[in-house]
Amino acid sequence: MTSQRTVSRLSRILGLIPYVLANPGVGIEEVMERFGYSRDELTRDLNAVFVCGLPGYGPGELMEAYIDEDEVIIDSADYFSRAPRLSPIEALGLLAAGLAVSGSGQGTPALDSAIEKLSVVLLPEADDALAVDLTATSDEVTTLRRAASEHRVAQIVYRSLSREETTSRDIEPWTVFSTLGNWYVMAHCRLVDDTRTFRIDRIREVTVGEELFDPPDEIPEPGVGYTPSDNDVQAVIELQPAARWVLEYYPVEVISEKGSVTTIRFSATDAELPARLLLRLGASASLVGGEEVAARVKDLGAALGARYR
Amino acid sequence: MRNVVERVLNTLIYLLQSPRPVTAEDIRRTVPGYSQDSDDAFHRMFERDKGLLRQLGVPLKLVALDAWEVDHGYTVDPEEYAMEDPGLTAEERAALSLAATMVQVGGSHFGLDGLRKLGGAERGIAYEPFGADLGAEGDLLGTIFDAVVQRSQLEFVYRDNPRTVNPYGIAFRRGHWYLVGGGPDGERIYRVDRITDVSAGEAGSFRRPDGFDPDAVLRAHPWETGVDDVIEAIVTFDPDVAWWASRTLGVDYSDGPLEVPIPVSNRDAFIGWILSFGPSAEIVSPPDLRDELVGRVKAAVAGPGR
Repeated sequence: MTSQRTVSRLSRILGLIPYVLANPGVGIEEVMERFGYSRDELTRDLNAVFVCGLPGYGPGELMEAYIDEDEVIIDSADYFSRAPRLSPIEALGLLAAGLAVSGSGQGTPALDSAIEKLSVVLLPEADDALAVDLTATSDEVTTLRRAASEHRVAQIVYRSLSREETTSRDIEPWTVFSTLGNWYVMAHCRLVDDTRTFRIDRIREVTVGEELFDPPDEIPEPGVGYTPSDNDVQAVIELQPAARWVLEYYPVEVISEKGSVTTIRFSATDAELPARLLLRLGASASLVGGEEVAARVKDLGAALGARYR
Repeated sequence: MRNVVERVLNTLIYLLQSPRPVTAEDIRRTVPGYSQDSDDAFHRMFERDKGLLRQLGVPLKLVALDAWEVDHGYTVDPEEYAMEDPGLTAEERAALSLAATMVQVGGSHFGLDGLRKLGGAERGIAYEPFGADLGAEGDLLGTIFDAVVQRSQLEFVYRDNPRTVNPYGIAFRRGHWYLVGGGPDGERIYRVDRITDVSAGEAGSFRRPDGFDPDAVLRAHPWETGVDDVIEAIVTFDPDVAWWASRTLGVDYSDGPLEVPIPVSNRDAFIGWILSFGPSAEIVSPPDLRDELVGRVKAAVAGPGR
């Protein structure tokens, strides 16, 4: 178990105990819902609590913790009657979540007053020291989010990131999310009849009509990972330290790290994306394998050369 | 080996209940799970457990047990341990629950962990097809945020240079966390993911300037950290990408090509951004910035072995 998972588990136990002590007779369903427990996890944590207590660790010193019928029972745990303070990253995570949602145009008066109250407790002398800006939540983000909650089909005009071409397609938007500073919509794309993730700032137009779609039972965890396929173009690229940020921004495979040079394999649906990346990187990266990409770099270089003559 | 969760809970209870500080040896003899191990194994285990307690936000302190400071003991003040109740209403808690499920930091729901210490998520919140990840490494960001809240001076290495900074505030913008700090040369901006080897000093070691706003400081730096003097570039975007560029820049656009002045304070990042448009964008002026872009393209085309 990693230390983050252990901390998360302990944090939940230390929040659970005071809640149950303050709400005697609370039902198991409510506890599971409030604390995000499965029944097995809850049983496991109550069993751990049950064998802990005051030095001596005899029956009179241990906490009581068990499930009785449909109620969660915890007793003899006065020292845990109050919840511990939030750790710095928990406090930041909670406040930042509130600020991010509020700042992206989805705030409510209740959220704003919650942030206010939390700031008083969590940032006693630093209430202005934290800011979260999810960058330009555009009309397209708002429209697609609404379409996703109402399960409406949207028609988008999209400029592809990997091929420099613009297409019009019908999508069934499942979820809208922001990561690495960009907004994306994950959707079922009817043009390719498959799941696709679109960068919203590359959507030129979006129209939402009356047609409804059936959302899947389980929406996959949103992400911008790239799923390699047989038709991929591949490039092997050596990165100097100044170009290492590429590792954070693209789903690349690290082949080797020798001294300050990192060698990666970059897979994409066609040569455009890696070729443009190489132009951006200039002397801080070099292409050591991938003929198609090399040819595309040359063509782009020639086109730019002509433009800057 | 006894379960780490049980060992940490028992240690915490022991510390909260003991009327006086307890030594590491007391803990070893008292708490089940420690005693049977060798000295080395105990110290490794105890160090790890102390780390877990601190990560949990438990105010674990080491104090001298005598005037000569020969022996030291650990203590947790129950008053400091417990959180002041922010007094959230059910409606406020529901709004926060929703926000905490939607927004992650570096792939983890730290906000939800925090909310569980405040009585858990409100029941029956509807699923929203909306999410965000404020990417960053939790430990590093937690340490820096703690220093901001505690007003502890920070020492760290930034792009291979050692720095001593008064952390005034942090802000998330354009996909990154930034630390705004004061030092001998005034206010500076540091990208959190480029900070390494960080250590925090005593709490309350500086005063935050009155009316300080990290967002305002960042807004004044359009292209990331201001590493260069600000110059103005004129750029032309072709019609196929003009609509897209205008959105990023936040300028009005209807149709045709777009020619705009753009303030630049990080030439490197700026040229990279212009090149991401391929041959559909052109730096019109100044000439030296044009030359820099052309040089970058030539280096890329020349390929390896240059």
